[in-house]
Amino acid sequence: MNRPNPASAEDTLFLPDFCALRMVFAIVLVGQLLAFVVVLAPTRLSADSWRDMAYSSLFIQWVGLSSAAILCFSRRWLKRVNNAQAGFFSYSIVILVTLVLSEVGFWLVVNGVVPVEASSFAVPSYGQGIAPAMVTFIKTPQHFELLLRNLGISAIVSAVALRYFYVQHQWKTNLESEHRARIQALQSRIRPHFLFNSMNTIAALTRSDPALAEEVTEDLAELFRVSLGDASVPVPLSRELEVCRQYLHIEKQRLGDRIADRWAIDELPSAALIPGLSLQPLVENAVYHGIEPATDGGVIEISGGEEDARVWIRIANSRPRENTNNSRPGGNQMAQENVGQRMRAFFGDGAELQVKEGASEYAVELRFPLVTDYVTGARTR
Amino acid sequence: MKVLIVDDEPLARARLYRLVTELEDDIVPEEAGNGPEALRRVQENTVDVVLLDIRMPGMDGIEVARHLKHLDRAPAVIFTTAYDSHALQAFEASAVDYLLKPIRRGRLKEALERARTLTGRQIDALEVTDPGAGKARTHVSASLKGDLKLVPVADVRFFRAEHKYVVARYAHGELVLDEALSALEEEFKQGFMRVHRNALVALAHVRGLQKHAGGGYRLRFDGIEDAVEVSRRCLPDVRRALKERA
Repeated sequence: MNRPNPASAEDTLFLPDFCALRMVFAIVLVGQLLAFVVVLAPTRLSADSWRDMAYSSLFIQWVGLSSAAILCFSRRWLKRVNNAQAGFFSYSIVILVTLVLSEVGFWLVVNGVVPVEASSFAVPSYGQGIAPAMVTFIKTPQHFELLLRNLGISAIVSAVALRYFYVQHQWKTNLESEHRARIQALQSRIRPHFLFNSMNTIAALTRSDPALAEEVTEDLAELFRVSLGDASVPVPLSRELEVCRQYLHIEKQRLGDRIADRWAIDELPSAALIPGLSLQPLVENAVYHGIEPATDGGVIEISGGEEDARVWIRIANSRPRENTNNSRPGGNQMAQENVGQRMRAFFGDGAELQVKEGASEYAVELRFPLVTDYVTGARTR
Repeated sequence: MKVLIVDDEPLARARLYRLVTELEDDIVPEEAGNGPEALRRVQENTVDVVLLDIRMPGMDGIEVARHLKHLDRAPAVIFTTAYDSHALQAFEASAVDYLLKPIRRGRLKEALERARTLTGRQIDALEVTDPGAGKARTHVSASLKGDLKLVPVADVRFFRAEHKYVVARYAHGELVLDEALSALEEEFKQGFMRVHRNALVALAHVRGLQKHAGGGYRLRFDGIEDAVEVSRRCLPDVRRALKERA
């Protein structure tokens, strides 16, 4: 999955990089297609058509590649001006190149450097038989007609090309901003219910146990710091597990002895990277669906380890004895899917999220590659 | 004025307790940690105002309020909740007031004063409109000589319409409900099935389908001897449901 590049000068210029090999190839290809069109356009094809095409191709490739070369070298300067100026400049370049090359070609033909018998070199004949005569009359109307036709075609084609580059650039920019927005939207949000309940807990503790109230406030602040942070930067597993502990510490004040937690995480590589807030929502889910609706409370188990350079983490909760249609509404699938998507966004197909539903237990298992270095992590995707 | 604080979280109860006692010298609130306990307390001692948390495990606050309405002298209900944007709309008309946690002293005072000025009749007039937005209750209830009788829905074998009322048959007896069978069918879509124009049965408790002398079929249930007639029209559906269950 492509990570959107931070907006740079590169992105604001709508023109593609004409120095790139792929771009040069595209220009050659499109130029050749244009030559075909030009040859096929006349109402009648003759035996000369193939030869016409050779000249047309030669001319069009010259114009295309020369323009590309100039745009390639002026790219650094183009980046500094705005898109309207860059568009105007590149348009003028193509027209100018067409003009110059038309004149040069004409001169070459007239002076017999290039042997032309039939039609013109750039644009095939509009009829038959006029070509040989035309070549000898530099100062005849045919000269200007030919020049005008070349310029006209060049003006139209380059306008279409520039428009295409512009639209493609817009499309790319939109795609990137959409992608960025999607990552942000995927960023885990802390449930409002949890926020207000925690506030209520703090309000209750403030007088009865000020020290504990202080702790809970610190935990809550820490959680929100992570929640409001940048979702696209991964954190070490140790950090994420700490966030889970802080979260559970808050919930324990509220739920009292109804909540029990067990940890078996000694085998987990604490330096392994994981998208921020990807475990906490699963623990929150476990509390929301496994503990809160259960009159007698329940147990949350967090375990994990490493196997063959892959990390596994399991978050399980006991299921409430109460009948299931009274279970909590809304959002159960969402938080889980969200975590899965973010894991895939970071690890690619190497990330797995599995749900194991038993009669008395609900477990979510995450498996992902062990990545400890962000840069290599980004590269392996 | 007698106040009952109902909340499953000890700290939330403690805070409300303190706020109430600080507001009014003469009030000594009682506390309940869940729905059934709250209903028991209300019946044991007359309670004027219930501060009722909406989100509780098992029987939630909205259901408690629905059962309370069956009482001869229903207490005024003030709902408390941390954040329930949808529920707020649902019970706006049904309660004296609702308070958002963390509850402010001033708001609590207002709500209690409002409750104090309401007469019993006005409280009865407060309708529980659209309670829980279609959520099924965990218990059915009826008032027996002023006492509220609660039966867990999970214990009910079947509901049968008889004349103008509906009887809920459970393992240890019957409860006459002041409700329509069609409404019960709608509410307990999950787990219950209409097998006859006048009967709704709990599939989980069905022991078997039996052909009787008259040619018709009857359903038998675990724990009770009563059987329920299955209408010919419903028979294929019943058979299918029992097969799926097996």
